[in-house]
Amino acid sequence: MDLNYTTEDVAFRKRVRTWLEQNMPRHIRNLDERKAWHRRLYEAGYLGMGWPKEYGGQGARPMEQAIVADEMARAGAPAPTNSLGVGIVGPTIVVHGTDAQKRRYLRKILTAEEMWCQLYSEPNAGSDLAALRTAAEDKGDHFFVNGQKIWTSGGAVADWGLLLARTDPAVPKHKGITCFLMNMHQPGVDVRPLKQITGSSEFCEVFMTNARVEKENMIGRLGEGWAIAQTTLGYERGGRALARITTYASQYKMLMEAARRLKRNGRPILDDAVTRQKLGRIWADLEVERYGALRTLTMLERGEHPGAGGSLTKLSYSEFEKRFMELAEEILGPYGQLTDGVPPEFRLEVDTAVGDHGTWAYAFLWSRAGTIYAGSSEIQKNVIGERILGLPKESRADRVGGLR
Amino acid sequence: MNFSFTEDQILLRNSVRAALDEQCTSAHVRAMAEDARGYSEALWGEMAKLGWLGLPFAEEQGGAGLGLVELALVLEEMGRAAYPGPYFASVVLGGLGIQLGGSRAQKERWLPAIASGQARASAALLEDALDWDPASTTATAVRAGDSWRLSGVKRFVPWAHVADVVLVPARAPEGLSLFLVDPRVAGVTITPMVGIDLSNRWSELRLADAAVSADALVGSPGGATGLLESLLRRAAVGASADMLGAARRCLDLSVGYVKVREQFGQLIGSFQAIRHRCAEMLLEVENSHSAVYYAAWALAAGAEDGAMAASVCKSYVSESARKVCGDGIQVHGGIGFTWEYDLHLYFKRAKALEPLYGDAAHHREQIVRGQVLHSDK
Repeated sequence: MDLNYTTEDVAFRKRVRTWLEQNMPRHIRNLDERKAWHRRLYEAGYLGMGWPKEYGGQGARPMEQAIVADEMARAGAPAPTNSLGVGIVGPTIVVHGTDAQKRRYLRKILTAEEMWCQLYSEPNAGSDLAALRTAAEDKGDHFFVNGQKIWTSGGAVADWGLLLARTDPAVPKHKGITCFLMNMHQPGVDVRPLKQITGSSEFCEVFMTNARVEKENMIGRLGEGWAIAQTTLGYERGGRALARITTYASQYKMLMEAARRLKRNGRPILDDAVTRQKLGRIWADLEVERYGALRTLTMLERGEHPGAGGSLTKLSYSEFEKRFMELAEEILGPYGQLTDGVPPEFRLEVDTAVGDHGTWAYAFLWSRAGTIYAGSSEIQKNVIGERILGLPKESRADRVGGLR
Repeated sequence: MNFSFTEDQILLRNSVRAALDEQCTSAHVRAMAEDARGYSEALWGEMAKLGWLGLPFAEEQGGAGLGLVELALVLEEMGRAAYPGPYFASVVLGGLGIQLGGSRAQKERWLPAIASGQARASAALLEDALDWDPASTTATAVRAGDSWRLSGVKRFVPWAHVADVVLVPARAPEGLSLFLVDPRVAGVTITPMVGIDLSNRWSELRLADAAVSADALVGSPGGATGLLESLLRRAAVGASADMLGAARRCLDLSVGYVKVREQFGQLIGSFQAIRHRCAEMLLEVENSHSAVYYAAWALAAGAEDGAMAASVCKSYVSESARKVCGDGIQVHGGIGFTWEYDLHLYFKRAKALEPLYGDAAHHREQIVRGQVLHSDK
């Protein structure tokens, strides 16, 4: 056990820091500028780092990926784009795609020349994703896709989508799903922004009416879609592990400063014993998240996969983020709810979700998403119970028979 | 950066677990609760032979020369077994205290004796007001010729009734000082303080003009504050490791139970209300593991954030161990509330350690105080 960073990692961190100081844009005003920034990161070797070299990546160690993301968080660097393409779609194509698919799609994912979204969730298939009903009907050389997707992140700007659709309604629900690559620019695809409680629209709804998918764009074999979606190993695993904590820590420091200025009963809130207790508790929780991130990185560095342990990590930090933002709101009072007109000393300089400048109000609202997306806390607890603790499965009506 | 145990550390943990599984069964814990001295000399001798009693001391003082991470591994196993005996008092409180601040002669006098099991040590770090800040010490030390006279009342001194030497902080004219006190000398009275934890013993230690010789002063007169703070940090992390072991035992017992207990025609572990609670218990145990071993490493390595990590650790583990052990009783239902079932041994063990060496509130204040000082610089 040695929690010091190696001299190589320290030197690498220094290089990244220097590069960011020299290359980081102050502001990103539109998608084109963000794509240009994305491209610069890629050319510098700081994006898609975990991808194998033969597919345009760096074959970098998880720690190097974590350091780059961490330095970006420290510097308040703008986020790159195409994160689902780089994080999920690309690795899926690397593992399950044909040579032709790899040649056609991979490089343009890394360079953000083609933007990707993930067409998974549906209005009636959220936590129970395998209940999805969007149908893909075999028409010989192509499929016709009909149905609706929701919570499609980046759908409005996506050129392509990684689609899960039902190809066989007669078999048990996990077995009748197939995975496809779908062109988003076609008459049968209608993308509508979904306005969230934040007032912004990071997500879309996607309606498909006889949308066409060529047979050559099927990933894996017919009926393998669920297995592919379950076993896809992203190359960016652990990448955000440290960066997330660094962002929390800078937010915490801003909160301490606010607590010095704001008063209750004639004294700074920071001198109030109750507030100090709450701050001390949140800081301890935050540090425990950081230690946990170091444990995860240790596993990844040894080439081990955290498996269901990832559920513990996700449950822990997403629930922490809610508690953290609730405390922020408590300390900031009504300032914490402002979306405009915030006095400079109470402004949030870093944002959790996208690495851009934002407001406490936005960060607070966004913290409600973390315990729902990518498997809600309840689903994570089921996974932990069944797959780590080996508890008996609950009897579920949907484990037998077909979907209809 | 490597947050995993070495092969040697894993071997150590496995051998401690194997020995305690065999010799420190729950029947042993229960038997020792009825014993006058409260611990087994045979097992104590065995622990000396296995090198546990000198684990963190230098080799020239009869120790194994290992660090706080290894010590935490042993303490976690002791919590897991609810080991009844003066291990923590002797090795962590007394031993590390002497190691941190003792003179060469004091180390040579005591550390080999502690390591061989011939002597047992302890420390009297708490007074009536239960304030863990060393500055709150009210016991006094006055010079009487060549020696010192100590007066005052110390509370919750672990295993004082079997100790050969107790570290006692007292206020000398020069300021807070630390003394090695033989609890059997005239002027020292020991009265048992009986708590709910069956695996630990505490005493009140009353000093009335108790004479201690000049060479019993640890460090310089008035120079004990830093030493006591260092010792308290190590005690806080050590106690957290012990609580972690107790919490993991409660989790293991609970998971085992809900896999076999049936109600409404089903195993209760298949109910989400139970499963989710078990998942939360595991999360708390794993987070506590991170907190304990990070802090143990940080203190051992002299890392910049060692003091902070110790406070993070104790504040986190104090509450999570209480929650996990309490949830253990809850998922067991009625059986978990019986004296006969073992769960309460670990529940009480963790509960007893929760307020000691600073409770969660104490350490949260330490965290914020450190941050405010840092940002004022």
